[in-house]
Amino acid sequence: MTLNLCVLTPNRIIWDSEVKEIILSTNSGQIGVLPNHAPIATAVDIGLLRIRLNDQWLTVALMGGFARIGNNDITILGNDAEMSTDIDPQEAQQALEIAEANLSRAEGKRQAIEANLALRRARTRVEAVNAISS
Amino acid sequence: MSCSNLTMWASPRPSLRPDFDSLCSRSLIAPSRLFSASPSPSSHRVPSTAVHCGLRELRGRIDSVKNTQKITEAMKLVAAAKVRRAQEAVVSGRPFSETLVEVLYNINEQLQTEDVDIPLTKVRPVKKIALVVVTGDRGLCGGFNNYIIKKAESRIADIKKLGLDYTVISVGKKGNTYFQRRPYIPVDRFLVGGSLPTSKEAQAIADDVFSLFVSEEVDKVELLYTKFVSLVKSDPVIHTLLPLSPRGEICDINGVCVDAADDELFRLTTKEGKLTVERETVRTPTPAFSPILQFEQDPVQILDALLPLYLNSQILRALQESLASELAARMSAMSNATDNAIELKRSLSIAYNRQRQAKITGELLEIVAGADALT
Repeated sequence: MTLNLCVLTPNRIIWDSEVKEIILSTNSGQIGVLPNHAPIATAVDIGLLRIRLNDQWLTVALMGGFARIGNNDITILGNDAEMSTDIDPQEAQQALEIAEANLSRAEGKRQAIEANLALRRARTRVEAVNAISS
Repeated sequence: MSCSNLTMWASPRPSLRPDFDSLCSRSLIAPSRLFSASPSPSSHRVPSTAVHCGLRELRGRIDSVKNTQKITEAMKLVAAAKVRRAQEAVVSGRPFSETLVEVLYNINEQLQTEDVDIPLTKVRPVKKIALVVVTGDRGLCGGFNNYIIKKAESRIADIKKLGLDYTVISVGKKGNTYFQRRPYIPVDRFLVGGSLPTSKEAQAIADDVFSLFVSEEVDKVELLYTKFVSLVKSDPVIHTLLPLSPRGEICDINGVCVDAADDELFRLTTKEGKLTVERETVRTPTPAFSPILQFEQDPVQILDALLPLYLNSQILRALQESLASELAARMSAMSNATDNAIELKRSLSIAYNRQRQAKITGELLEIVAGADALT
């Protein structure tokens, strides 16, 4: 029994094939999805999506969105998603440092909102890159 | 004496002389060369005003026109290839928007009776408007950038007349340079579009717009971009981006609302051997969710997560359409330029050949006259 996973972003399809299991970060915590899961619809937080294919785990950095889990059919709509293999570790680390600097410099509600979002995204990308090695 | 003979021979067809004059006097490529003193001794003194170009200069002009023609033709083909890629990008974004629309509809069904209170849909009395202006990065695309900038200026004038405050978010190098030279227009941020807009760029704009709206610095966000109508026609339009309606309708400035399920696609095809663009409106089917579907969080929170997705996809769509219109405008501008270059080259060649023949005739006459004088 396998799950059909579809990860979509506004400009391309990131993933469209069968997997054994996924672990998703939602607003209310992480959920693991195995075949024959009950149908649910959930909002997805900025975090990692882990995909298992035959004892091998892949990581995708997902920047928030929505997930619908149906009859062994999972559709994830993300604002943006990057396979951890596509992320450059140096660049991700630099982006994280820049985001942290921006947050400390942020003045006013609006800049704080933006800086927070950017920081969470940068952190997710760095975690995705570090996760493959662990 | 030979000079007067020459003059008679040199202008056999007076009707064509005005063309020749106009060619030389209206040189767009090298006006300086045109007016320099001609070194050739056999000057064909045309009685009316014009300066004439020497043989060498004409040849130089013909060469430069030929080079320009090669460049414009290449640019046209490159633009045509890029339109195809832009169109593929739109097509690959369809699965996302289809699924999103489906989910949005279903959630709205569930929320029919409840009062929805999400930051992105909050309708406030408007005091300040943010305008997102999408322009191109490069020139040589006809009136494309000018149209959109003129539309932006007229919208700004309207807003000022209503007594409202405004700020501009400029996307694209051409818009950036325009607004940078006008410090009296408050610009919030300059963003540069890439060659092919991805969700990263759309996200950057969305972040900016989102934070402006949610922190209540602006009360309305409008998106100004060029809609791709056909290869020769494009329309600058203004869409209200925020506040969103929970159903995901996108409303025009005049209140004309397009339903989220109506998707418009454009396709580059050939008709009668010429490239054309066809638009088709596709209505996405919205089947109901399975009734046992449970929401992990309450529907309002889910809608809260869905609407930024919708915002992103709308912005990305606008960027893609803008890019497609810019490429189409460049295609037609370069095609016109190529046609003009071909015609200019033709008239220059005719003038060159006529001059060359006249020169040869003149030399022949001299030889004959000289030989005559000797005998």
